[in-house]
Amino acid sequence: MKDVHVDEWLIDQVRGDLDPADRARVEAHLAACGDCRASRERFAALMAELARTAPAPPPIRWGAYRAELRERLERRTSGNGRLWAWLARPMPALAAAGLVAVLVMAGLPGGLRAPGTPDPLALDNTILASQLDMIARLDVVQQLDLLEDFNVIGELDELPEPGKS
Amino acid sequence: MESSDEQLCRAVAERESGAFDLLVERYQERAYRIAWSVVRDREDARDCSQEAFIRLHESAGSFAGQSKFSTWFYRILVNCCLDHQRRRRGWRRLVGWRDRRADGPDEPDPVEQAPAPFTDPVDGMDTERRMTRVWALVDELSPQQRAAVTLSCREGLATKDIAAVLSVSEATVRVHLHRALSTLRRRLGDEG
Repeated sequence: MKDVHVDEWLIDQVRGDLDPADRARVEAHLAACGDCRASRERFAALMAELARTAPAPPPIRWGAYRAELRERLERRTSGNGRLWAWLARPMPALAAAGLVAVLVMAGLPGGLRAPGTPDPLALDNTILASQLDMIARLDVVQQLDLLEDFNVIGELDELPEPGKS
Repeated sequence: MESSDEQLCRAVAERESGAFDLLVERYQERAYRIAWSVVRDREDARDCSQEAFIRLHESAGSFAGQSKFSTWFYRILVNCCLDHQRRRRGWRRLVGWRDRRADGPDEPDPVEQAPAPFTDPVDGMDTERRMTRVWALVDELSPQQRAAVTLSCREGLATKDIAAVLSVSEATVRVHLHRALSTLRRRLGDEG
């Protein structure tokens, strides 16, 4: 039967990489099984050929290799590398995202104002409009004694048009 | 007395000057060779092995010393190479690249079935001179199998160390190696 063979243990047996109990079991099987002995010999020949003929990688200049490695390491541990590493951490990323969101909201019309809070821009516009109104009604304003009739200025709209009174 | 790899790694964690450079000098050739065995491209092997050293620098403090430094570092290295293969696979899928051949019926993850990438012609000619027929066939294995064969037959790592490097069980390493070598034997037999 196939499952009593020791196929997957043969390579370790060739390499001498079995603990004593497994070695005894595999060697006992090999003593009795011609198929596994033949298989073991083929594996041993192939492994010897692989070890003997292992190709060398293309040569490289180790000085340049180490210089490049040092440069990569410095780039990674400082400058952009450090910034990106910091940004990649969850808390700074969340904080940065929050800051961006706040800035975007602040840039939008009506952004960041609590409900009911007057818009400072709208208030400025109202003041300017009232000043324009005063300028338009300059003939009336010039006739007022500002110290005595100061309240009238706030009710210019209610004053009759010149020449209509 | 010369510091051990493990001592140097702890020194790197404490940012002692010179410790990282010493580790790089000790491991640069092995790192580049293993990376090249998996990715089969000079620039990619250079990139992956350098990335592994950078990750070593960043995570030296997490080396607990429960395994050998070399096992821990090879794990980082092989992960860099396999990540690289996955990214490459993703790009190829995006542009409609398809595998030339499947490696076997019982490899469920298509990413793991990707053969070694094509190399540029000059690099390829250079590589071809170095390659024997059997190692050319190793190139057609999945990256996981290729890594297992390289770590076993070339780097001489024990099964338990290969298991730690590849983050799989020892039984899985035995299966990888057995399937890989059986595939090689079959293909060599077919060609012979």
